[in-house]
Amino acid sequence: MKSIQGRLSLGLIGVLVMVGLITAQVSLWLFEAGLQRYLEAGLRSESESLLIAVGRDAQGLRLNPERLLPAYDRPFSGRYFRIDTPQSHWRSRSLWDAELPLPEQPGLHTDWRVGPDNQLLLVLRSDYRRYQQTVTITVAQDYTPVRQSFQRMRQVGLGTGAIALLLILILQRFTVKRALAPLERARQQIAQLRQGRRSQLDHGQAAELEPLIEQINHLLAHTEDSLKRARNATGNLGHALKTPLAVLLNLADHAQLKAAPALRQVMQEQLRAIEWRVGRELNRARLAGDALPGARFDCDEEIPILMQTLAKIHGGHLQLCTRIAPGLQLPREREDVLELLGNLLDNACKWADATVLLTIEAHADALHIGVDDDGPGIEPSRRQAVLERGQRLDESVQGHGLGLGIVRDIAQAWGARLELQTSELGGLRAVVSWPLGHA
Amino acid sequence: MRLLLVEDSVALADELQGNLSRHGYAVDWRTDGRDALYQAQIEPYDIIVLDLGLPGIPGLEVLAQWRREGLGTPVLVLTARGSWAERIEGLRAGADDYLTKPFHPDELLLRLQSLLRRAKGLPNQPTLKAAGLELDESRQVVQRGDEAFALTAAEFRLLRYFMLHPGQLLSKQQLAEHLYDGESERESNVLEVHVNHLRRKLGRDVIETRRGQGYCFTGVAR
Repeated sequence: MKSIQGRLSLGLIGVLVMVGLITAQVSLWLFEAGLQRYLEAGLRSESESLLIAVGRDAQGLRLNPERLLPAYDRPFSGRYFRIDTPQSHWRSRSLWDAELPLPEQPGLHTDWRVGPDNQLLLVLRSDYRRYQQTVTITVAQDYTPVRQSFQRMRQVGLGTGAIALLLILILQRFTVKRALAPLERARQQIAQLRQGRRSQLDHGQAAELEPLIEQINHLLAHTEDSLKRARNATGNLGHALKTPLAVLLNLADHAQLKAAPALRQVMQEQLRAIEWRVGRELNRARLAGDALPGARFDCDEEIPILMQTLAKIHGGHLQLCTRIAPGLQLPREREDVLELLGNLLDNACKWADATVLLTIEAHADALHIGVDDDGPGIEPSRRQAVLERGQRLDESVQGHGLGLGIVRDIAQAWGARLELQTSELGGLRAVVSWPLGHA
Repeated sequence: MRLLLVEDSVALADELQGNLSRHGYAVDWRTDGRDALYQAQIEPYDIIVLDLGLPGIPGLEVLAQWRREGLGTPVLVLTARGSWAERIEGLRAGADDYLTKPFHPDELLLRLQSLLRRAKGLPNQPTLKAAGLELDESRQVVQRGDEAFALTAAEFRLLRYFMLHPGQLLSKQQLAEHLYDGESERESNVLEVHVNHLRRKLGRDVIETRRGQGYCFTGVAR
């Protein structure tokens, strides 16, 4: 994806280079044309003074050498002429052994090259009538120094242009960066939102962004509110369903029903099926999943209380250890994390002999939650079945059943993976891991 | 064992009351949070079963209030709200255990049993052991070595209370308060009759009489 900064720079460079080159070229061309017109005027007066130098005596027309400029005598001085009449031809001594060709048309001609220096000539041919004869005078001037200085001017111009372009780009980058600062701040805040380090975006960054920020904040509040309401509703529904279920389960144990064991068994089985299903679905309905970007779980604050709770439930014979980096925060909703950890740890406590270990590791790209116990573990061949069906392996010990089912639901809602492994402590190790980039 | 049941569902409370009584608990039942708050402070309960969704005052608040006022009785919270966040909240408010509805009646009995043992500092074993006797609470049978003795409901209640307080001097009033619910007649000679029945089954010296003071369970064999 291209950045706004990149697009602006590219557009600006394109426009500046194009306009700059065209302007420079056109102005150079106009300047050169003007200069040539000025030089042409000089050449014209030059050829007129040559015409005056053409006199007449007894033999016919002759050129009066005293009236010539000294530059016409010095070889390759840069000033040349030739005079053609029907009877005679004269050429300046400065031409030396080179030939100044006669232009076919009268007027100014450029880009002629002459002599050993390969001089670039500006040539003017003029036709006159003098003494009833046609006199064609061609004067030329070395144009090379002018051309060279033009070349130098062009180079200097290109250099200055390039430096100006660079300056403009740097300034533009700076300006655009400043102008886009609110966007950058919003981007950072959204990243913080996803990492759970913030629950709202800040207002008052830029008028253009305000509606967007308002809408995002509104959506966040709305999601949180919906979650709260859904949880409240499922809680009420659960209460309404579970109390009658508890009554029925107690009734099924009644002395009168004990007299009809078949009837009692069917009743108990059906009640358990309802209980299991209701529990599972209500728990699933409570999940926030990853719908709440501002959510976070503060390990330092919550884990000790959770461990105390577990120690209270399971008595003092278990050693509950944690291995968590201080200050660690998980970018997930608090109740979801508690539910996941609570169920995993509760299972581990039920099966452990002496030790349960909770590990939470944050790597650069992924988070791992590991719960180890030193209990009997689960055979590798049966682990998949436990995960898939969330079934109870052992009816006498509650757990590894519904508990794991909920854990799997939470992991799924988070985009996380749940795996059962063999623990270093000798029992089961349950690992939940998810990539951090996942929002 | 004196038990306070706080539950607003009449059907469930009826069931529980019957079941708990059959297992030797003297049950008082309250439906309202305000009544429960008061009731727990005027009677010496051994254990409390508390529902959280109560009319009057919410269960969690009742519990927190009890703990603020220094009531140390073990409390088992009984609720339909079973998420871990709510569980943690309940246990932080001062609950000792947490049972979510629906539950199997045996599960409740087991939890109560282990909670009572923990409160008395006893190990959590399937049977209650004290002074050479072994009491199976689910079958209401007491054993000494290979010899087993069946008990009546009243004898079971009395013996369990003795076995949870071995070597302690227990006055007749204290025994009556912990063995009978608020609505029963408390006649001291009924207690004496049951003590005598226990002595006849288990031996004279199992329970000593301290004249003018009460009884002391020693569990010494004949």
